[in-house]
Amino acid sequence: MFTPGSKYFLGLSGLSFVVATLYMFLVNPNDLGALALLGLGCAFGAIGGFGLFTRDGDVFSEEDAIEASATSPTPSFWPIVFALGLALTLTGLATTPIVFVLGVATLIGGGAEWAVQNWADRASSDVSYNGFVRGRAISAIEYPGIAAVGLAVIAFLFSRVMLTVSKDQGSIIFIVVSSAILAAGFAFAFKPSLRTKSKAIVTIIGAVLLLAMGVASALTGEREELVKASKEDHFAAVHRECGAEKAKYYDKHANNTVSLRSAVAATIFVEDGKLYAQMIGLQTKLDTITIPRSNATSVIFRNLDDTDYRLVVNLGSVAVAETGVKEKVGTCTQLTGKNQEQLMTLNVPKPALADEPYSFTVPGIAGQIKLVVP
Amino acid sequence: MSHRVTTSKSEKALDTVSKVKSPSRRLLAAAAGSTAVLALSGCAKNAPQDTFQPKGPNAQMIHDLDKLVFSIAGVVGVLVLGFAAYTFWKYRDRGQPIPSQGHGKPIAEIVLTIIPALILTVVGVFTFRTIFDLAETQDTELIINVTGQQWWWEYDYPVQTELGINQPIITSGQIVFPAGTKVLLRETSRDVIHSFWIPALNGKKDAVPGRIHLLRLEADKPGIYAGQCTEFCGLSHANMRMEAIALSKADFAKWVANQQTPATSPADGTMAKEGEGVFLNQCVRCHQVDGLKKADGTPALAAPDENVYSGAAPNLTHFMSRTTFAGAIFDLVTKECRPDVWDAKPEEFGAKYLTGVTEECLNQRDLRAWLRNAPAVKPMYADPAKLGQSDGKYRGMPNLNLSEDDIDKLVAYLTTLK
Repeated sequence: MFTPGSKYFLGLSGLSFVVATLYMFLVNPNDLGALALLGLGCAFGAIGGFGLFTRDGDVFSEEDAIEASATSPTPSFWPIVFALGLALTLTGLATTPIVFVLGVATLIGGGAEWAVQNWADRASSDVSYNGFVRGRAISAIEYPGIAAVGLAVIAFLFSRVMLTVSKDQGSIIFIVVSSAILAAGFAFAFKPSLRTKSKAIVTIIGAVLLLAMGVASALTGEREELVKASKEDHFAAVHRECGAEKAKYYDKHANNTVSLRSAVAATIFVEDGKLYAQMIGLQTKLDTITIPRSNATSVIFRNLDDTDYRLVVNLGSVAVAETGVKEKVGTCTQLTGKNQEQLMTLNVPKPALADEPYSFTVPGIAGQIKLVVP
Repeated sequence: MSHRVTTSKSEKALDTVSKVKSPSRRLLAAAAGSTAVLALSGCAKNAPQDTFQPKGPNAQMIHDLDKLVFSIAGVVGVLVLGFAAYTFWKYRDRGQPIPSQGHGKPIAEIVLTIIPALILTVVGVFTFRTIFDLAETQDTELIINVTGQQWWWEYDYPVQTELGINQPIITSGQIVFPAGTKVLLRETSRDVIHSFWIPALNGKKDAVPGRIHLLRLEADKPGIYAGQCTEFCGLSHANMRMEAIALSKADFAKWVANQQTPATSPADGTMAKEGEGVFLNQCVRCHQVDGLKKADGTPALAAPDENVYSGAAPNLTHFMSRTTFAGAIFDLVTKECRPDVWDAKPEEFGAKYLTGVTEECLNQRDLRAWLRNAPAVKPMYADPAKLGQSDGKYRGMPNLNLSEDDIDKLVAYLTTLK
């Protein structure tokens, strides 16, 4: 009743459900892992069901299967891949998670390929027909899978290059490489006279170049500013010096694409060495802005001058419970280059005390914008 | 080409059609009655939130657009319904054979596509023009920040020296501005999305947390204009109302001057002074009264951010200068005194409103009920046992379990906050 293909996939489905059940009881019922395993079980079940319904595409009859089982399997490298996956998985368990994940992926991929090939080998005594059967069963997964892995490798190698060279060099390399790919694509598409061998040579040269550049870049390491930014934790909220910038490098483009900018409470400008504010709905230049208390309110800082500046908000001071020492309260944006802008979101729960009014300042620029919280 | 249908199936269908009964007189009477009720409801006199009675240029713009769109839609509706009725009547079933079933009439299809497109283009032009006119902010004369929270509105007036506002003014429930002045509301919200709507003065605009949305208001004449939140915002959404108060420019200047004056402490030995003590013990945790001082002489600062989910509670410095409370759902004046302000002529309105709430007109019943147990008269998430979902903070005013004696004292104190 059950065809070999459906038995295989239905078995996998059952196994997935059993593992999912164990996972839910032993690990975490709310974890995504359980959902993934259940999904896998359903997917295998569906494939098994299709196989059963189509009698495995009428690949062979029971008699054929008996006859085919007597033939020897074709040579295959999938057992080696499977073994490699197993080795990587075990190595990963003892070393790093990335090796483990790589091992599991290889294990699943190699195992699936091996199983499908073995299944196809028994389709008939005709090797070429068996190859066709195998292709029909696995190509729909194999080709996108290989393409995804290939793209990931290309992206990884290319990213190594881009992280090593300077931003300007990166722009030039990007333009040159993308233009070359476009040109090659056009040539391949519109010059059918080009021999397959020529196309293969061009592709291989490109792949070798990419591989060489990627490996060389990975060995060289990332460019200095990225290493420093990472070392000094520039992107953490605590890295807010709020004064003259000590570090040479910083993220100039932080917050440049914040969607909230369309309805912020106010925009604070530095222009010609002067500080002023504009509130939404008013075109006049202001030296005071009012925001409601206890409410998340966004303010944009826009620097129109050549020098890099940051916006600092001063929100009085608070006494530290343990020591009684007063500490200043406030925050700031990162340094902002010419014609750049950054967003600052404030939530001020109380009005200012008379002797400690709230204000916005920009180190290096005289004056301030008064901040009123009624 | 016509043809006679002779199949038994078609004949059965014709028989079925022939047996459909005409509407009964009772059904017609019910339909006519319902239509009459709907039509007559438009004649209500006491309908302060009537969008068809604009009292300012912005609402007038919307109303003018309404008239145009409704007129066009009305003509289209009558034509379509009339044509449909004519067709139903002329081609009603009289046992005649089914006519030929054709498909496609290019001229009719083109005409019936072009005509609606032209109609929509005309409507679109006027609609876009109105939208852009309503979004105009270049000529703003007064700015008011409007902040919604469950379930009341707070209004704060930034410093605008040309209007005599030399320090921020903060109030709630009633938004006050001069008539004939272009006011720009900068709306936001502290908790969930609300929507601000004074139908007589403009359309509605959502107040969204983290965003500032703009809405223009302008009233032709002094008076009170009612509105309410129009975006479902929780348990007491229906009890989140507001009133726009338009004063003459001279009266607005008086109102501004009064609002910038801090409260003064009642005389020693009075019940109001005792009420001040109750206020300091119970109410100042959330409600600010500017000028109120603690026993040691330091300013009493409210900390609603520590007790209320939205982080705010109404400022009560000039509580008796407004005529409503609790999200404008209760009148602070009695029923007898209410028409004196609400129905006042425009030229007399300012003086009457600025008088505030007198002792004779104070709505003691509702105010005391509110102080006795606020959640009992306005549904709020204020059960101390159920604050797990709101970080242990109240949404709205909780029951403070005040004694009747304390309520007497509090009322006496609140009446001093003019």
